[in-house]
Amino acid sequence: MRNVAIVGAGITHFGRRDASWKDLVVEAGKALFDDVPNLDKKDVDSFFIGAAQPERWTYQTHVAPLAAELLGLKPRRVVARTESACASGQIAIRYAWLAVASGLSDVAVVVGVEKMNTKFMNLSQTSMMNVGNREFDTAVGLTAPPYFAMVAQRHMHLYGTTEEQLALVREKAGEYGSANPYAQFQKKITKEDVLKSRVVAPPLKLFDCSGITDGAAALLITSEERAREYTDTPVWILGGIQRTMANSINEMGELSDWLSLRYLAKDVYDLFKITPEDIDIAEVHDCFTISEIVEYEELGFCKKGEGGKFIEEGQSYIGGKVAVNPSGGLLANGHPLGATGVRQAWEITMQFRGEVSEKRYVSGAELGLAHNLSGMAQFHHIMLYSIKKPKDVKFGR
Amino acid sequence: MKEIVLPDTIPLLPIVDPWEQQDAEGPDSTKVYQFYKNLSEGKLTMQRCKKCGNVFYPPQAMCKYCNSTEYEWEEIPKTGEIHAFSALLLGFPMIIENFAPFVVAVARFGDYPKNGVQIIGIMFDTDYRSLKIGDRVEWEIMRIKGPGEKVRYWYCFRKV
Ligand SMILES: CC(C)(COP(=O)(O)OP(=O)(O)OC[C@H]1O[C@@H](n2cnc3c(N)ncnc32)[C@H](O)[C@@H]1OP(=O)(O)O)[C@@H](O)C(=O)NCCC(=O)NCCS
Ligand SMILES: [Zn+2]
Repeated sequence: MRNVAIVGAGITHFGRRDASWKDLVVEAGKALFDDVPNLDKKDVDSFFIGAAQPERWTYQTHVAPLAAELLGLKPRRVVARTESACASGQIAIRYAWLAVASGLSDVAVVVGVEKMNTKFMNLSQTSMMNVGNREFDTAVGLTAPPYFAMVAQRHMHLYGTTEEQLALVREKAGEYGSANPYAQFQKKITKEDVLKSRVVAPPLKLFDCSGITDGAAALLITSEERAREYTDTPVWILGGIQRTMANSINEMGELSDWLSLRYLAKDVYDLFKITPEDIDIAEVHDCFTISEIVEYEELGFCKKGEGGKFIEEGQSYIGGKVAVNPSGGLLANGHPLGATGVRQAWEITMQFRGEVSEKRYVSGAELGLAHNLSGMAQFHHIMLYSIKKPKDVKFGR
Repeated sequence: MKEIVLPDTIPLLPIVDPWEQQDAEGPDSTKVYQFYKNLSEGKLTMQRCKKCGNVFYPPQAMCKYCNSTEYEWEEIPKTGEIHAFSALLLGFPMIIENFAPFVVAVARFGDYPKNGVQIIGIMFDTDYRSLKIGDRVEWEIMRIKGPGEKVRYWYCFRKV
């Protein structure tokens, strides 16, 4: 396999944007092209766009050629739109990595985008409800907040996790998010603010939830041979894998056990010969505060059941055991489904390049992990990014 | 100037209708139509494979354990136990907003997972503060009237 690098990155402001889906694609594309002034668009041979539900939120299908044209690209190797709800963006990066690593592609553009705010916010909720087995599990009103609320309830029941511990996750997100000029919610939020915010789905309150967000991000991904044409600070994509073991409520068993993530993380550590202790930055999928707590555990940062304690002890802050979500995570950035995975890669790239505010900079970081979950946490996805060039990567048994 | 005229109202697409799948166009519209027929006759059912004996849910037209397409419909035990619950109090989806807010519960019926199911149901007229994990609930058939004269069936939970 060839070495693959992120050599450029761009992002839009996230939030309730006065911009169309196409505007967002163009804005992220322009930010990317401004970041890589040496790029000749003719060299872009592949194009991947992570977009979860453009057909529902903007009634537009077949978005890959549309977005490529908007950006002035005429890709000729691998072109795809990727969809897996909340993880759509990360999958676009994985496909670009594979295409370039295989030698089929040399220069690929990745975009992640979602336009979720429309005149019909209730229709947005309907659309998001369909990520489960719609007919039998979710169509009667099981949106994400009550589902993750039940995960939180089980975690509290089994391990004594508290609402205060959940609130700390949001307080941390606000602390770093306040130093992220692209985030949807840049206000600092205290633990007390979280505890007194409106109940959305008990025990989750407004500030325990990520938002409904418009936004996009873009990356330029090339082979090692081409990387130096565009940057002196490539970010190496070590790669990553995915895992799903169950989709319906009936197959999920104990809701607070995320077995797919537990086994996925083990496989990632084996495959890439690293340990959880090697990870300096983890951009994880904190779609709700409870998600981040379960992720500390399933990613092996702490023992099962000790996620609440982990944040209480400050282990997930910058300067702790591992800096988790120095970007502010989904809680502060908002969560435009298709854009989130690409935003995480953007964040790790900017961290490695030292181009983020001092207040959320993880100094000396060399290895970054990006995690997404999709749907009702049935499907998990991990990518690894490094400042150090990979040596002789081989996958096999 | 040429003019074209659109209808006064544009009907909502069935994509926002939670129960569009069971519109009784007959058993051919879905291979698990029997599930809906059972609901209309007062029974919430799961499938049991005739070949390997495994129970499966949600309904589907093939046993995922042994690939057999021979199965029986078995009534899910009437009473179960709450595994987790919450309530939908904010952020209502379209159509759902007509009967929200409500409690949402995941409950286990029968000897889960070998000989039973873990399913999700909504609970009406229930204060989530009056519930706890382990409470017994019953499934109950719910009649869905509308749009217009249409009548369909689903299930919900009720505390016992
Ligand atoms: C929680 C939720 C229902 C709140 O929606 P809402 O009640 O319609 O909120 P509104 O849009 O009316 O906003 C009301 C205020 O709260 C703020 N707000 C909304 N959601 C927020 C959030 N998640 N975090 C912080 N502030 C939020 C808004 O900015 C607004 O502030 P303002 O009054 O100062 O302008 C909605 O954000 C939601 O559904 N989040 C979950 C998204 C999701 O499920 N994603 C998939 C994850 S897997
Ligand atoms: Zn069988």
